[in-house]
Amino acid sequence: MPLIRIIPLQFSSVSTMETMLSVLSNRFKMETRLSGQHLDLTPFFNPVRSQYNANEIIQKLLPLAGEDDKIVGVTDLDLFIPVLSYIFGQAYLGGSVALVSGHRLENRRYGLASDPQIFSDRIIKCIVHELGHTFGLKHCLKPGCVMVSTTYVEEMDQKSDMFCQTCQNELSMLTA
Amino acid sequence: MDNNLSILVVDDELSVRDSLSNWFLEDGYDVDTAEDAKVALKKIEAFHFHIVLIDIKLPGMDGLELNRRIKAINEDTIVIIMTAFASVDSAVQALKDGAYDYVCKPFDPDAVTHIIRNASKSIQLSRENLSLQDRIKSLVNVEYIIGQSEGILKVLEQVRIVAETDSTVIIHGESGTGKELIAKAIHMNSPRRFFPMVTVHCGAIAESLMESELFGHERGAFTGAQYARKGKFEMADGATLFLDEISTISMKMQIELLRVLESKRFTRVGGNRELQSDFRVICATNRDLQTMVKAGEFREDLYYRLNVFSIEIPPLRERPEDIKLLSEHFVKLYADQMNKGTRYIGKRAAKALNNYAFPGNVRELENLIERAIVIGTGDTVQLKDLPFEHQMSKPTWESIQDMEQHHIEAILTKYDWNISRAAKALGVDRVTLYSKIKKYKIEKPK
Repeated sequence: MPLIRIIPLQFSSVSTMETMLSVLSNRFKMETRLSGQHLDLTPFFNPVRSQYNANEIIQKLLPLAGEDDKIVGVTDLDLFIPVLSYIFGQAYLGGSVALVSGHRLENRRYGLASDPQIFSDRIIKCIVHELGHTFGLKHCLKPGCVMVSTTYVEEMDQKSDMFCQTCQNELSMLTA
Repeated sequence: MDNNLSILVVDDELSVRDSLSNWFLEDGYDVDTAEDAKVALKKIEAFHFHIVLIDIKLPGMDGLELNRRIKAINEDTIVIIMTAFASVDSAVQALKDGAYDYVCKPFDPDAVTHIIRNASKSIQLSRENLSLQDRIKSLVNVEYIIGQSEGILKVLEQVRIVAETDSTVIIHGESGTGKELIAKAIHMNSPRRFFPMVTVHCGAIAESLMESELFGHERGAFTGAQYARKGKFEMADGATLFLDEISTISMKMQIELLRVLESKRFTRVGGNRELQSDFRVICATNRDLQTMVKAGEFREDLYYRLNVFSIEIPPLRERPEDIKLLSEHFVKLYADQMNKGTRYIGKRAAKALNNYAFPGNVRELENLIERAIVIGTGDTVQLKDLPFEHQMSKPTWESIQDMEQHHIEAILTKYDWNISRAAKALGVDRVTLYSKIKKYKIEKPK
């Protein structure tokens, strides 16, 4: 039975986990579990950029995924890929691993008061989005759909954590 | 996302190629990658990429040179240069060499998304522009040149061949065959179509005014010339100059015209500044210029200068199959213009039109139909609405043989005693026609 496994990698917002598991299980109609596996992220730190290399972390997580399983690494650390200055998350189209960072989803980073609910909403949207890519979904243009490409938190607040009907149909086809 | 666009990422770093191709794949683009310029050029020669992202620093040939090579292969390819802050100067050079934009690595996710979306919009706009131009072109081709006869199709084929060139064209045809329309078709399908076609009706301009009309004049050049005026040569700069009824210009003007056609340089009347104009000449005549040359009425050198490409428009009587189409076209045109409900042509009227020789060609047919629409009532053009009704409605013969004899005579006259064409029109073979000619003792007029 294929699973979605969430691996916290230096992730402090434990309170969001329960909601996270429930939403993912509902969106993807798959059993979703919290994994106790551990990965040391120190080797992926880039001192010049003071960020962690997402591509390298994903490569390291790959062997942990079973044949049909999907793995989501969740972290508080700031992530980058070589050509971009930052990313909220990263996944390969049709791959088995997604990686999401809560670092830039925190209100505090933008001079605002911390809001755990907003943070929880944002990180869940981010995980659903990246997991969507691992199932083969591309970016969507329908406003509100979780597969809309977002590069700012303000944009992320505009969308929901749900798939639009088109993406939902495509996901059903891809997972059938 | 535009799923029809293809992107090539050229970077020697695998991680950059992977990251970007994954990023663009998620946006629904077709993506390929190349690790150096050599591989990139091979891929570009084999497949058309809409957008190419190039790292400025590549092993071997650098990004700047690769940009220039890509532009040489296909100028429409959008090239985006990726550079580090240190090499912004080089990126500026790339822009001068035709690159679309540049981004400094590492770039914000938003920046790359915006650049690619802007590039997509730019590609879409040029596609729309091309399709609009095609539509304009095809509209011009089909709308006003009516006919499906072999003769008119051959003319259109010649128009297609010569339109793209800059050669001088001479259009021969009887009065009323539509020489100006053919000239317009050539102009509208030529690279000069975005400029107007400047027309000079040589026959309608007095000899004394011709020089000023063609060359223009300076202020005070002659009595009454209060202001300077541009001539047709000057106005046709970048465009087409159509000289209608070229056979009517005087010998003096023929010399002047030849000189200008050869040098494309001229001086306004009363001026001393030499002007230059880039125009293409199309001329038309209803007279046989070669005969005029033999008779010493037209300069031989000018004739050869003009006669680079010749188009002969057949008279309407030689393409009777176009009469129906043209008649229907004019009925619709004038009925709409006059707000009348006329839509059809009656059987007898159509037959009469088909049997008429139309010495005035399409212009005469047009006038006949216009008149018929003015005087006619109801939704159909009747024989009585046409001026030659009496010829058709009061036959002087009584027997079937008489009728056959007169009909054969009419058809033979119509086809200038060309037995094959007359037999074809009558629906009999040549032997039958010869025996009928013998039987009715029909004689060819001398």
